[in-house]
Amino acid sequence: MERGEAAKRRGGGGGGHGGKKRCRSSEEGVEEREGGAGDPALRGWPSSEGREQIQLLEETLDEFTENRSDDLVVSLYQMDLDRALFLLRSYLRIRLQKIENYMVHISKTNLWNRLSEQEQRFAKRCIEIMEKHLEQSVLSRLPYGYQSMLKQSISSEEDDMVPEPQLDTFVFCKTKSDVGAFQLDDTGEEIVDLVADDLYVLRYKSIRGLVDGGRIDLV
Amino acid sequence: MNPIIKEDHLHLWLAKIKIICLKMFGRRASQLLRELASCEPGQLTAYNTDTFEQVIKECNEHNLQLQSLIRKIEDANLDIQTTRNEDHFGAVIHHLSLARNKRGLMSYMYNRAEIIQSLRWTIGPVLPLEIQEKLNYSEEEYYKNHSTAIEAYMSQLDLDLTVDMVPPKDPYIRVKVLDDIGEVCLGEHTISLTPQSLHFIKRVDAEPFILQGLMEEFLE
Repeated sequence: MERGEAAKRRGGGGGGHGGKKRCRSSEEGVEEREGGAGDPALRGWPSSEGREQIQLLEETLDEFTENRSDDLVVSLYQMDLDRALFLLRSYLRIRLQKIENYMVHISKTNLWNRLSEQEQRFAKRCIEIMEKHLEQSVLSRLPYGYQSMLKQSISSEEDDMVPEPQLDTFVFCKTKSDVGAFQLDDTGEEIVDLVADDLYVLRYKSIRGLVDGGRIDLV
Repeated sequence: MNPIIKEDHLHLWLAKIKIICLKMFGRRASQLLRELASCEPGQLTAYNTDTFEQVIKECNEHNLQLQSLIRKIEDANLDIQTTRNEDHFGAVIHHLSLARNKRGLMSYMYNRAEIIQSLRWTIGPVLPLEIQEKLNYSEEEYYKNHSTAIEAYMSQLDLDLTVDMVPPKDPYIRVKVLDDIGEVCLGEHTISLTPQSLHFIKRVDAEPFILQGLMEEFLE
């Protein structure tokens, strides 16, 4: 379905139409990426649309080069392609870094489902490598009962040695639409009126639901 | 322990002892962490073998004490779960100190590992000698394995993520060659990259060389 759509865009468009489409996609990329950097937790995997856009650009570029079109046009397409590639790379890099930092935590929570198949493979491997490293340099040399990577000692009931992201940090965010009176804490003492298109600095923890629901953007 | 101490005072009393003991017992481990914290973010100090080994030794000593206290309770035919005599509290303190030392050691290694893995993005697959000297054996191995994991991920995607680290302004850049690289095939052309020569090539092609310090961006 997605593939068909991409082909249609390409076939039916011609120069002008294609250009418009690309612009939009780049902007979406920025949004996703920047939200990703400010967001202490991981977002969902956005499917392979970005990748398809780039393929489309590459094909267009090849076509233009083959047809010996104007050098200027070719270089404009090249720049556009470079920009899209940069966005994609930088987005994937940020995700990898988040995974590297909190791999064990991610693997134990439902954040795991937000990873792509390749990222899951990467995370699994990272955990194995980290475990081996800690095992041979620290854990194997500690007394019996204290050798777990996840628990402080055999008497801990839960996994109390897993680094977790700090969700209490403040983030800049912008509302998309009117949310109305919004409760920031459990006790209901702090209430903010979230108006559309306004900037706020709030604790990530309290607005997490709104971010996931797409009602608020991180800036 | 004085049996007159009441139950509700017990926690306070224990907490005090805990602070005193942990100050003495956990000192070496906290030294390790202070060393980490005093560093510029992202910078690595040499692996502190001496202190690390001392903390490991401390852990084993705590364990010996802990075991002997438990044995003492068992020998007196007391129930290990409910006994609250001086041996029990002594054992608790050794246990807590051990766990604290473990947290210290683990944080030391984990934080270092985080810095080490970030070098893959800024330096490349091979670490220069002056950084290698700062790592212990396991850390070097960790770096190699972690690099391979990133490479495996990139080859699955068929996309090199280590290039393109700054937003592109121009697809081409002017570079100066610093070291003899020799003949390199870039796109359709083969160019000879001799030292001190200037070239105008694609940024993506130049980045790996710049990362390895073989080339630099030439700014007029």
